[in-house]
Amino acid sequence: MNPMAQAALWFWLPAALVPLGVWISLSSKTSAGTNFGRFLAVVGMLGLVTSPWTVPESPSSAAGHLLGFILGPAALLLSGVYLVAFSGHVPVGRLPRSDRRLGVMAFFIGFVWFIGMHWWNLTPALEGEVNRYWLVFWPTFLLLLTCLLSGAALSLRVIGIRRATESNVMWFASGFVLLLILLAMVVDGRHVDADTFRYHLWLAGADLLGTAVGLSISILVFGTIIFLHERSLPEPKSITPPTDKEFAHVASIVAANLGGGENE
Amino acid sequence: MNEDRLVFTWRAMLLAFLLPLVLLWAMDLTMGGSLGSGTDSLPRFGNAILTSYTLGSLALLGNLFFYADSRQRPLAPLFGMLSAAVMGVVVTVLLLNQGPLLMEDNGSIRAQILYNVVHMFVSAGAILLALALSLGFTFSTITAQKPRRTVFEEE
Repeated sequence: MNPMAQAALWFWLPAALVPLGVWISLSSKTSAGTNFGRFLAVVGMLGLVTSPWTVPESPSSAAGHLLGFILGPAALLLSGVYLVAFSGHVPVGRLPRSDRRLGVMAFFIGFVWFIGMHWWNLTPALEGEVNRYWLVFWPTFLLLLTCLLSGAALSLRVIGIRRATESNVMWFASGFVLLLILLAMVVDGRHVDADTFRYHLWLAGADLLGTAVGLSISILVFGTIIFLHERSLPEPKSITPPTDKEFAHVASIVAANLGGGENE
Repeated sequence: MNEDRLVFTWRAMLLAFLLPLVLLWAMDLTMGGSLGSGTDSLPRFGNAILTSYTLGSLALLGNLFFYADSRQRPLAPLFGMLSAAVMGVVVTVLLLNQGPLLMEDNGSIRAQILYNVVHMFVSAGAILLALALSLGFTFSTITAQKPRRTVFEEE
């Protein structure tokens, strides 16, 4: 089998299975269909994570390698935030109070794990070199996170009512991530030096801006196509007005459902 | 909330979103940097626009199947969206053929296109994780506070 066919089979097919599985699981109306979609997505994920072994000569398999590296800390961060959020004061689906401590611990471990991937020996490396996609993922994640937290902080203050405390916590979080970026811009890691990080940080900025512009254009095109199609449709056919018999039937239903006595 | 206040709110929120970026830019310039990647940012910006447009169009093409369900399955919007996605691919190939304009560290046009797609997957992963974390963090800070009792004044 030639290298292109191998890459198609062992990397691109699993990569296509992930969104396809998610799509099927979200759109399916039966539980069997939902489970099948989830199964496809998990199989696709496994195929991607194992791609550095199945197609080691394909440069794209570096993305599968990165996915394997970030799955652990990302899952810890997300589950930590979930546990903390739902063990607080929520009206429904409240988790036990002890889950809060577990959530904080999971979040902290995930966070330290990510930090270790930049400054310590945990950096994803392939054949002795830092995985090129790690230098895409990490600056993009940090840059967007600090911006989103800052936006959320002001939203809480401006839109929310008496949310100043929460807003201050969000400002602090945004400032902390910003400080982390600044540190990465001046302090070398074991495998990623400060200059490399700065170079990729601005590439990440260009990437985020380009992605926002491209997605906006595609949504605009989508809206225009729907608008043009709807405008070209003929007027719907008029139906005959209701007959006296139909009016009487409707009146009887309304009368049967109207009520409310003095006791209510 | 009146309209002027609403416009102000959106502007303020956009500014708050961009504030860390501006601060980092200022810090980088203060530290003697020249926006780090400099001219290399331009091909990345262009490739990100083209890739996100094409992949976004394909995702919205899939979304049109749901729209078709409620409209007796018209083919015109499907063809329209398919043409829009194909146009994205054609424009990408044409621009990559122009030489070094959009080429990054890849040997051929096919390698650059495949790199763009994989790069977009990785960026999308980072974007989704950042979105999920910021939403979860906001929700956590709200639910961490003591429940409030709203006292309504008697009319």
